[in-house]
Amino acid sequence: MLRILLINDTPKKVGRLKSALTEAGFEVIDESGLVIDLPERVEAIRPDVILIDTESPGRDVMEQVCLVSRDQPRPIVMFTDDHDPGVMRQAIQSGVSAYIVEGIHAQRLQPILDVAMARFESDQALRAQLNAREAQLAERKRVELAKGLLMKMKSCNEEEAYTLMRRQAMSRQQKLIQVAEQIIAMHDMLGN
Amino acid sequence: MTETTPLLSDDLVWVAGSDAPEKTALNIGFMPLTDSASLIVAATQGFAQPYGLTLNLKRQASWATLRDKLVTGELDAAQGLYGLIYGIHLGLGGNPATDMAVLMGLAQNGQSINLSARLQRSGVTSAEALLQYVHHSRAKLTFAQTFPTGTHAMWLYYWLASLGIHPLKDVNTVVVPPSQMVAHLQAGRIDGFCAGEPWGAHAIDQGMGFTLATSQALWPDHPEKVLGCTREFVEQYPNTARALVMAVLEASRFIDASDENKCSAAQLISGSDYVDAPLQTIQSRFLGRYEDGNGHAWLDAHPLRFCAEGAVNMPYLSDGLWFMTQFRRWGLLREDPDYQAIARAVQQTSLYADAAGALGLAVPDAMRSSTLLDGKPWDGHDPAAYARSFALHSLSNEPHSAAL
Repeated sequence: MLRILLINDTPKKVGRLKSALTEAGFEVIDESGLVIDLPERVEAIRPDVILIDTESPGRDVMEQVCLVSRDQPRPIVMFTDDHDPGVMRQAIQSGVSAYIVEGIHAQRLQPILDVAMARFESDQALRAQLNAREAQLAERKRVELAKGLLMKMKSCNEEEAYTLMRRQAMSRQQKLIQVAEQIIAMHDMLGN
Repeated sequence: MTETTPLLSDDLVWVAGSDAPEKTALNIGFMPLTDSASLIVAATQGFAQPYGLTLNLKRQASWATLRDKLVTGELDAAQGLYGLIYGIHLGLGGNPATDMAVLMGLAQNGQSINLSARLQRSGVTSAEALLQYVHHSRAKLTFAQTFPTGTHAMWLYYWLASLGIHPLKDVNTVVVPPSQMVAHLQAGRIDGFCAGEPWGAHAIDQGMGFTLATSQALWPDHPEKVLGCTREFVEQYPNTARALVMAVLEASRFIDASDENKCSAAQLISGSDYVDAPLQTIQSRFLGRYEDGNGHAWLDAHPLRFCAEGAVNMPYLSDGLWFMTQFRRWGLLREDPDYQAIARAVQQTSLYADAAGALGLAVPDAMRSSTLLDGKPWDGHDPAAYARSFALHSLSNEPHSAAL
């Protein structure tokens, strides 16, 4: 059974949605009036899906949503009374997996949440790829920097510098990036 | 990515770029073996980043586990026994047949057939003595290899058969993961084994056995490990596959470039995250310096090698064909497969040629000629006839095989 964290920090009544969810067989595990402790709450409760009101203070909640999404990735589903496609688009771009217009029939919730879960999973895979690419680029820059420093220090060419760094890394059972960081740190300390 | 930046189109455009890898973070499976060095070096020594790849190494406890994870996609690509990849492709193992791909060869040579210290004490220290022992002893000896369709099974079978010992009738054979060979030898559960290093050297080091034959004595510069994946992976991520081959080729070339590089690579892989074995058992044979544990030492003319300017890495059709001929010979295949069509489908020769060409490595002909220990030549032509040309075989379920 899906465990849903229902967040409500607006004066709007969520009673109808909550009872629809319960009727449809979901476990609605929390109803928070506070957004401030959302990351901790998500960490503690580990819900399968987070449901949040679009009107809970607008753009700020979007930020909060992204933050939650980054630290503790969970599919996030928005619910709303209004049909503004702009808000919807913005929400989806922020990593929201699906959108529920309030008043929807209980029996239609399951397919929506299924889609939300599937979309979330594929987003996560893409996000992991992009993060890996970022890390790769950053690592590559550090290795390049260290190589340049070593070429100056040892008056050697690029290939020789790479070979020296790699031999050093391998004989210490380290990765190339670790040796690169050591070279950069040493260079900084010596103040060259 | 900065915290609040949504997944915007810039990133997606890069991902979709023409030559860029379609998938950038790869899970790469390997076994704790000396010949996994090129993958470990590629992943840890900055060979993949310039191609936009991050290689996450995943050590496996057995070849069967590695096979399962490769087929389900939990591993994107993996070190594979040549025969293991073909075994999956032909559906000869625990999995239904799955279309597979050999991206490149990873290593040649460097496996060994080892006997127990008990046999050594009984005077079984030569091939002739083993033949005598097998034909005169009442108890059957038990030999271990590493996977039913794997290279070690095929080396062991071929070698025993070349002595006149039928591997499926005159002895028992069992499957044991390579890193557990020495423990099984010690416990007396097996009398000998064929596996990759460092486990032969480790048996000697522990006083548990000795090396009776090297695989390169059986077939100089024989095919051994490959970089394998499913055909689906190559088709879905062709740029990734090519980038992966290039990164591993560069690491292979680096290892082979000097003894100093080989020594450092041996140090790296001896670590607990990788092969997890004492450096001295890895390093000597890595450098081609052999001691057989029976009083002989030599510098091997055909030691483990990773590149040899690309001669190692070409996914030769003739290598792929050879394993199918041996599957046929030993009854793993009950009928002749469409040898050439299967080899052409599995061996990714054109993808390899692209990658090797871009690195300035020569791309050899897809068929190569060899002569094995028993003097039989193999050049990849007429595999069906070759499979039937051996005195010892298990083709017996075929009506016309008796005459051979």
